[in-house]
Amino acid sequence: MTDARRARYVALFAAESRTLLAGARRALAAWTDAPGDRAPADELFRTLHTIKGMAASLEYHAVAELAHATETDLVAVRDGGEPVARRWLLQLEAAFDQIALACEASATGDGVSAEGEQANAPATRAARVVRVDLERLDALFDDLGGLVTARQELERHAERDTLSPVARAAQGMARRLDTLQDRILHVRLAPLAEVFERVPPIVRDLARQLGKEVTVQVHGDDLEVDRAVLDQLAEPLIHLLRNAVDHGLESPEVRRGLGKRPAGAIQLRARRERDSVVLELSDDGRGIDRNAVAARAVAQGILDADATLNDDGLLALLARPGFSTATAVTDVSGRGVGLDVVVSRLHELGASLALTTVPGRGTTFGIRLPTRLGIVRALVASIGEERYVMPLTHVAEFLPWEPDAVRQVDGRAVIDLRGESIPVLDLRRLLLYRGEAPPTRRPALVFEANGQRVALLADAIHGQVDAVVQPLDRPRGTPRWITGATVLDNGRPALLLDLASVV
Amino acid sequence: MAQRVLICDDAIFMRTMIADILTGAGYEVVGEAESGLQAVERYKSLLPDIVTMDIVMPDMGGIDAVKAIIATHPDAKILMCSAMGQQALVVEAIQAGARDFVVKPFQPARVLEAVQRVLAG
Repeated sequence: MTDARRARYVALFAAESRTLLAGARRALAAWTDAPGDRAPADELFRTLHTIKGMAASLEYHAVAELAHATETDLVAVRDGGEPVARRWLLQLEAAFDQIALACEASATGDGVSAEGEQANAPATRAARVVRVDLERLDALFDDLGGLVTARQELERHAERDTLSPVARAAQGMARRLDTLQDRILHVRLAPLAEVFERVPPIVRDLARQLGKEVTVQVHGDDLEVDRAVLDQLAEPLIHLLRNAVDHGLESPEVRRGLGKRPAGAIQLRARRERDSVVLELSDDGRGIDRNAVAARAVAQGILDADATLNDDGLLALLARPGFSTATAVTDVSGRGVGLDVVVSRLHELGASLALTTVPGRGTTFGIRLPTRLGIVRALVASIGEERYVMPLTHVAEFLPWEPDAVRQVDGRAVIDLRGESIPVLDLRRLLLYRGEAPPTRRPALVFEANGQRVALLADAIHGQVDAVVQPLDRPRGTPRWITGATVLDNGRPALLLDLASVV
Repeated sequence: MAQRVLICDDAIFMRTMIADILTGAGYEVVGEAESGLQAVERYKSLLPDIVTMDIVMPDMGGIDAVKAIIATHPDAKILMCSAMGQQALVVEAIQAGARDFVVKPFQPARVLEAVQRVLAG
C-alpha cells in the first residue's frame, strides 16, 4: 500500500468510524429506553463489525480486538433471550467509549511514513482525549459570555484612570480572557470532513438515479468550523448538490454533442478568508439560463422588462420563495430548485450565499461561513432609548450626518459619498419606531455587502463591544435581519441586527 | 472491454478499498450499494459481470440479497466478503448461490484471484 493511499484510508477510517460511533451513541440511548427492542442491538452490532473490519485492514489490532470482544459480548446478550440489564448497557456504553478513543488515537497516531512508532502512540494519545457533551460546552460558553460582559463593565470604570492599579489589573484580565475565549471557541471546532466525506457518494448516487455521469472532487475538508454550524450545513449543501446534478449537469449524450467530457465535474472546495471559511460548490454544466429566469420574473411582475440581470440579481430572484426555473419536475429535486430554503437556512447560520454562472460553462455557489459563532465584534447604536448591536463585518465607515446632505432621487433618499450616491435607510423606519423625535445631528453607518453600499441612520453610536450572541426564538414575521440577541454591559438586552442582508 | 463490477458494502472505507484493488487491475466499478436492498436494485439495473457482497449490512443482509438476486438471475456471479469467524454464514451464502468468498482484511492478491476464479467459473 502506498503512503498516499494509506493516508486516504486512514482519513476514511477516521471519518467513518466517527459517524458510526455517533450513530451508536443514539442506538445505545434508544436501547436503554426500550431494552426489549432488537433494532438498536442490530445497529450496534453492525457498527462494531464495520469498525472491526476497517481497523483490521489498517492493522489497528487494538481497535479490532476491542471491537471483536464487544461484538461477541453483544451477540451473546442479544441472542441470549434474557432481558437486557441496565448495568450491562452501561458497560456496553463504556466499551463504545473505549473504542471511540482507540479509533481516534489510532487514526491520529498513524504517521503514515512512521509506522514504527505506531505501536506506542495509541496508548499515550488515548489517555489524552476526552469526549465532551456539547451541552456542557455550551454552558461553559454561557459563563464566558457573562465574563466578557463583566470585563466590559470593568474596562469602562478603569478608563477613568488608565494608570491606576485597577486599570492595569483590568488590562491583564482582558488579555487572559481573550485567550480563554479563543481556547473555548477552538474546542467547539470540528473538521469540514465530517460533512464533506458524505458528498461524493451522495452525488454519485444522484447521478446514477438521473442517468448522468459525474466525477466529484473535494478539497479543503481539513478546515474547521464551529460544531453548531457544521451540524446544520449538510442540509443546504446537499440541496445545492442535488440542484447541480439535476439542473446543472447535462446528460452524457448532450455533453458529448457539446464537445464536453461525458462525465460532468462537481467540485466542493473550502478555503479560509480572514475570519470566515468560504465553501465553493461548482459544476461544469449548462449554467443558469439567465433569459429564462428574467422572462419568468418579468411575467410575474417582479422585474422590469428592460432590466439587465447580473449574478447577484439572478440569485436574488432565484431565492424568492416559490420561484423556480425547472422546466421538468424530477424525482430528485422535487418541484423547483428551492433556493429560497437554502438561503434562509444559511442566513440562520450566519452564512451568506453568492452565485456565479456562465452559460455553457457551469455554475458556482459560494457559501461564506462564520468560523466563530457566538462572539462577534459589533457596534452599539441606538434609537431613542433602545440599543441595537450590529456586527462590524460589513461596516465600511461611519459619518457624522447633516440633515441637509440628503437628496431625493426617484423618490428615494440618497447621500453623496465621495462623488457616489448611496441609498439611505433610517433605522427608525426599519424598526417602526414611534417614540420621541430624532436628534437633529445623527450619525450614519455605511454598510457594504455584495459590492453595494447603504447608509444607515441611527440616533447615536455608542462604540464597539464583543457581543455574545444568543439565539432568538423567532416569532412568525420576525425580519430575517434580526439574527439574535445579546446582553449589554449595563445588563440590558439588545437585538442583533445583521444589515448586510438588507443591503 | 473491462469487466463490470458492483460493490456492496455498508462502509465507504471497504468500498473504496475494494474499488482501488479492482480498478488497479483493470476492472470497471459500475456501481456501489450500501445495503442489501440497494444491492438487489442496483444488480437489476446495472447487470454487472460480478458482484462483491458484504454479509453484514442494514435493511437487508448480504445473504438475503444473494437469495433475492439469484431468484431472478440464477447466473449472477457473486463473491462474498466476510470477516473472520463468519464461516457459518459463508456456507449459507454459498448454498444460496454465491460463487466464492474472500475474508477481511482484504489482501489484494487474494481478492483478485477470487474475482478471476468467479468470472472464469
